[in-house]
Amino acid sequence: MPEKGKVLVEVKDISKNFGVTIALSHVNFTVKTGEIRGLIGENGSGKSTVSSIIAGLQPPSHGEMEYKGKPWAPQNVLEAEEAGIGMIVQEAGTIANISVAENIFLGNYKRFMKGPIINRIALVAEARKALQKIGITDINPALPARMYDMQERKLIEIAKCVYNDPDLLIVDETTTALSQKGREIIYRIMHDMADAGKSVMIISHDLNEMMEQCDTLTVLRDGVIIDNIEKKNFNPNDIKQKMVGREMKDHYYRDDNDGYDDEVVLKADCITTMKDLLCFDLELHRGEILGIGGLSDCGMHTVGRALYGLDPVVDGKVEITGSKTVVKNAQVAFRNSMGYVSKNRDTESLELNASIYSNIASSGYDKNKVGPFISIRKEKDYVSRQITALSIKCQNAYQPVRALSGGNKQKVVFGKWCADDADILILDCPTRGVDIGVKAAMYELIYEMKKNGKSIIMISEELPELMGMSDRLLIMKDGKISGEFFRTDGFDDRKLIEYMI
Amino acid sequence: MNKEASAETDSKELNLSFKEKVEVVRNSRFFLMLFPFAMLALIIVIFGIMTSGRFFRPTVLRSVFSQAIIIGTCATGVAFIYSNGNLDISIGAVLGLAATFAVLIYGVTGSALLMILVGTITAVAIMAFNCTMSVVCNIKTITVAIVVTQIYSSISTVFIGGAGKLEITNATSSALENGGFRYIAFLAYFIFSVVVYHFTKVGRELRFLGGNENCAKQTGMSNGKATYISFLLAGLGVGLSAVFSIIDVSAVSVETGSGLGMDVMLATVLGGMSIFGGSRSNAYAGLIGALTVAALNKGLLMVGVSSAMIQGIRGVIFLALVYMNSERQNLLPARVQF
Repeated sequence: MPEKGKVLVEVKDISKNFGVTIALSHVNFTVKTGEIRGLIGENGSGKSTVSSIIAGLQPPSHGEMEYKGKPWAPQNVLEAEEAGIGMIVQEAGTIANISVAENIFLGNYKRFMKGPIINRIALVAEARKALQKIGITDINPALPARMYDMQERKLIEIAKCVYNDPDLLIVDETTTALSQKGREIIYRIMHDMADAGKSVMIISHDLNEMMEQCDTLTVLRDGVIIDNIEKKNFNPNDIKQKMVGREMKDHYYRDDNDGYDDEVVLKADCITTMKDLLCFDLELHRGEILGIGGLSDCGMHTVGRALYGLDPVVDGKVEITGSKTVVKNAQVAFRNSMGYVSKNRDTESLELNASIYSNIASSGYDKNKVGPFISIRKEKDYVSRQITALSIKCQNAYQPVRALSGGNKQKVVFGKWCADDADILILDCPTRGVDIGVKAAMYELIYEMKKNGKSIIMISEELPELMGMSDRLLIMKDGKISGEFFRTDGFDDRKLIEYMI
Repeated sequence: MNKEASAETDSKELNLSFKEKVEVVRNSRFFLMLFPFAMLALIIVIFGIMTSGRFFRPTVLRSVFSQAIIIGTCATGVAFIYSNGNLDISIGAVLGLAATFAVLIYGVTGSALLMILVGTITAVAIMAFNCTMSVVCNIKTITVAIVVTQIYSSISTVFIGGAGKLEITNATSSALENGGFRYIAFLAYFIFSVVVYHFTKVGRELRFLGGNENCAKQTGMSNGKATYISFLLAGLGVGLSAVFSIIDVSAVSVETGSGLGMDVMLATVLGGMSIFGGSRSNAYAGLIGALTVAALNKGLLMVGVSSAMIQGIRGVIFLALVYMNSERQNLLPARVQF
């Protein structure tokens, strides 16, 4: 049994800069064996940077590290993996078009090779064992990874990581992509590892989760460590204040009970899609925030896509009631003042290589026209209004979006749709992976839109925000609405969860 | 990282590695704008010195310009196709076929106006056909291009016949050459392209679609429509180019247009645009690049490099530029944070 409480990793005076921007500034901390260490802080505070340096994804600009008592300067991820450091990353880390088994053993095929030929039967069998080790039996390792959804693919990554028996497991912002079941799997792995005298580092924006699961919390802000807090001293308000550097208001959700118009603006009339939905009905009213919640595979994401004309509706129709327009595809939806924020921000909501300017301007080509031409003056105005209103942190509007942190990227997405001034906005997981500061700003925006008579559908896997923001809340299960709740009656989370499972 | 902090930071105290410094410079938008002009200036200066001034003689410059106008018109047009993320390498053959039809009609009617019209319309029609093949039948544009290249060249060869060459009268070609037709037509097309590209919805949509098709679709853009428009606009450029190349040599031959596809690609990247399209695309890259390619071709010939060697040198430059231009993501998360 390995000893607990020994120093496993020591980070000494590490700094890291990207171009002219400092991501980490003289950071010191240690991770001990038997410990679950949480890193918490706003987007861009340096959490992912410090963990990725430990895991060999990138070198520090300055400073040194020790691992197992020896100097530690990994050249790449493989070196770190071999030394027993495993990391589950925030972004999708599986390759879609190869099998689950190949994903799990990516780069480690040698042991399954007989001459130039890979023994697939052995590969799949071993992958099945790796999945069983973390308690997953319903994923077939012989199938290509693209057959599985984001949550299942995350679990595949976890299986890959745990299979190698790491001494230090780093979990970077993974839990927000997981449902309760997935989260429980990962919590169990973390605690089992800690009990066995190994170490875990976890990054998450979910403060409650962090306070429940971690032994120590390290708070980062703007690349500097603000505090290390022991479990016995955890206090949510104190931690929040340390994260953002100012007092947080207690209520960042709306606290009114304003209600909404009776007029229906968007209607799904018995729609059936290729997957998930069978004769699904829904009505959205003017000035309403309609929340849709459920487990991640309940079909709620498909509802959003079908309403916006992205997933083909094979039977029934989606209709904008005012003009009696049938939404056949996204072009019709966009032209009729609808907007859609995808849950896959980087692949669907943004053109990463383009600038902030191009991304925001993309929703306004028609609005900024003078005659047949786009007026650059009008367009500049269109863009800079949003940058100011949303306080997007950037050097200038011509910076490529890919260089921004997650929260700022999401602000650009919001900016694009706020500028568009759409009447109906469908938001699919609008606050996924953003910190509380940005979240608060988004809730305020959503509420502002409602007050201006816009109608909003908010699809989310987080119950608190649905309860905090919705006028009406639909809970879905297996592609059907299993419960409908109203703000005026008050929401009860236990009851909501009952309808989800 | 907040804006104040980054604004206060002096780049000297950051200890940037050489690689990072290169990245910072490479990503500056002013660098991207100025780099092509610097390349052109550099080539002109180098050849000026190597030929001890002979490079600046009017006849040399005129011939550089004649070549540049053919490549440049094509490249300006084809930029529309590239920016949308498509590649079409059949334009050399399209140009050859359009020029063949144009000269044939001239042979029948003797009208220069009809020659110009038929050349342009043929090119637009053929490009529309290419596009239909790829949009309707869902074949990648590059695959269509490879197949149709063969077909178009053989049609040209059949019509041109055994002599390998169809001529127009010298009087007509010099009238068109000296009458300013080429300059007016080119300038009109160039200005038209720049305006469409940068100041209309269509141009912006093309670029955005080339960058992220999913995102563009969710913002109400249609790839099929945009692809058609890009091919039609490109066809217009290729057609004009066909007419220019007839004027240049007073004839069309089985060789007309061969190698043009490569020249156009080279001009595009030399002009600072990516042949993979997206946000860095623009309408003037083709012109700057065409001047650079034409100057390079002529300069290398003048300093005594054989034409086979020139092909090789151009290939190497092309590869180097594509390598420099491509955005290689690190395989695992490279989160550059601000």
